[in-house]
Amino acid sequence: MTAIQESIQKRAAELLESGEVTQVIAWTNGRFTNQTSPLFIQNAADAGKIVFNEYCVNTLAKYVLNEKIAGKVGVCVRGCEARGINRMIADNQLKREEVYLLGIPCEGMKDRETGEALDKCLTCTHKNPVVYDELLGAEVTDTVSEEIDKVRFAQIEAIEGMSREERLEYFNNVFNSCIRCYACREVCPVCTCRECFVDQLRAGWQGKQNNLNENRFYNLIRVFHIGDRCVECGECARACPMGLPLMELNRKWIRDLDELFAAGEEGLSDELDNTLGRYKTDDIEEFM
Amino acid sequence: MSVVNDTQAAASTGTETFEPKILAFACHWCTYSGADLAGLNRMSYPANVRVLRVPCSGRVNPQYILTALNKGVDGVLVCGCHPGDCHYVSGNYYAKRRLMAFRRMLQYTGLEPERFQVRWISGSEAGKFRDTVTSVVEQVRELGPYKPDPALAALIDSSVDASNPVLPEGGEA
Ligand code: SF4
Ligand code: SF4
Repeated sequence: MTAIQESIQKRAAELLESGEVTQVIAWTNGRFTNQTSPLFIQNAADAGKIVFNEYCVNTLAKYVLNEKIAGKVGVCVRGCEARGINRMIADNQLKREEVYLLGIPCEGMKDRETGEALDKCLTCTHKNPVVYDELLGAEVTDTVSEEIDKVRFAQIEAIEGMSREERLEYFNNVFNSCIRCYACREVCPVCTCRECFVDQLRAGWQGKQNNLNENRFYNLIRVFHIGDRCVECGECARACPMGLPLMELNRKWIRDLDELFAAGEEGLSDELDNTLGRYKTDDIEEFM
Repeated sequence: MSVVNDTQAAASTGTETFEPKILAFACHWCTYSGADLAGLNRMSYPANVRVLRVPCSGRVNPQYILTALNKGVDGVLVCGCHPGDCHYVSGNYYAKRRLMAFRRMLQYTGLEPERFQVRWISGSEAGKFRDTVTSVVEQVRELGPYKPDPALAALIDSSVDASNPVLPEGGEA
């Protein structure tokens, strides 16, 4: 980790010095112990502030969209960030040449309060960045995917095993806790619409009231909009101030699409190939 | 709006049996003609269904389905052309993928599967339209009224519509 931190600092300084990038996005120490926060630096002299340890829980991908306006952005990418970057390129939000990717093989991050590995890291299928300009450090080995899949979808299967009434109650509780701050949308590298359906006041899709109906509407439509493109970076669930288990919605969608239409994983390349944006004439039929 | 008031009236008397409201999205090029043909042939089907004509089943945004349920409909039926017969070539193929996944998600979060159904019904299948509508109405009647938010429903006498006031028609918002 310290070796990686040093290489990020060194490369960030060099890139800023040479003018290849106007800004570097990384992490720095936060206010509390074992906490980091995203760092945006424009001067090579600030490179020393960069920190990389096992508490770098924020995924940086989405920040690039705002920052690229000022010029080419250098950004640290682990598996989750790299897939987000690919996704944004596929969605035509970003051009590959607008970013310089400092690849970081990642062993997983920890929760600062419990010290345990994050759920998104336990279930991570790509610990090495899938796209980068240079790799800082030796590649790590991924856990074999069948093993991961058992953990990845364990919660979904547990919920599916409940009765309908139990599921209804469970999700009513989940949706009831949502305060509709839209943090889950803001951090998501897939939610990139300039104008989100929740902000279209005249169309009136989303009422402003905070009640179960509106919250359910928001959460189900959010997951519908990202479902076939989610890169499972876990940012939405991490950012949620109310601790909603959003991955339980995302992963349900991901697993269904995979089972029904062999969707596979998203963000592995920057080609646009959304499962719900294509079809096969011999797709399975259940509406006859 | 009158749709909501009907049930409120029915609910308040308390004596009448529950009559579900079903919203059927019908594709202009197939099911809508099928429904028309059913009428021409003097077929009878429950009056609980409100047919809403859409240009294509692919036009049915899942947001419509949730909105309908939130605004007091007890069940939603989406009908389109058989795969391969879409007037716009591929609209129903997209609809199929999307609605298959969306339907699973609704069930996962606790909706009864009967409350949201999808069927392919061509312009000549008047009988299939009648049978489908009848069976959906019967299934939903069995289930009882859809109460999206139990707390709200009790509070405002099942008029969940009040949770999202509709802008006055033609009015500036
Ligand atoms: S971040 Fe959490 S509380 Fe905020 S809108 Fe999303 S789900 Fe709701
Ligand atoms: S929905 Fe959540 S997990 Fe999926 S890409 Fe967006 S932030 Fe990441």
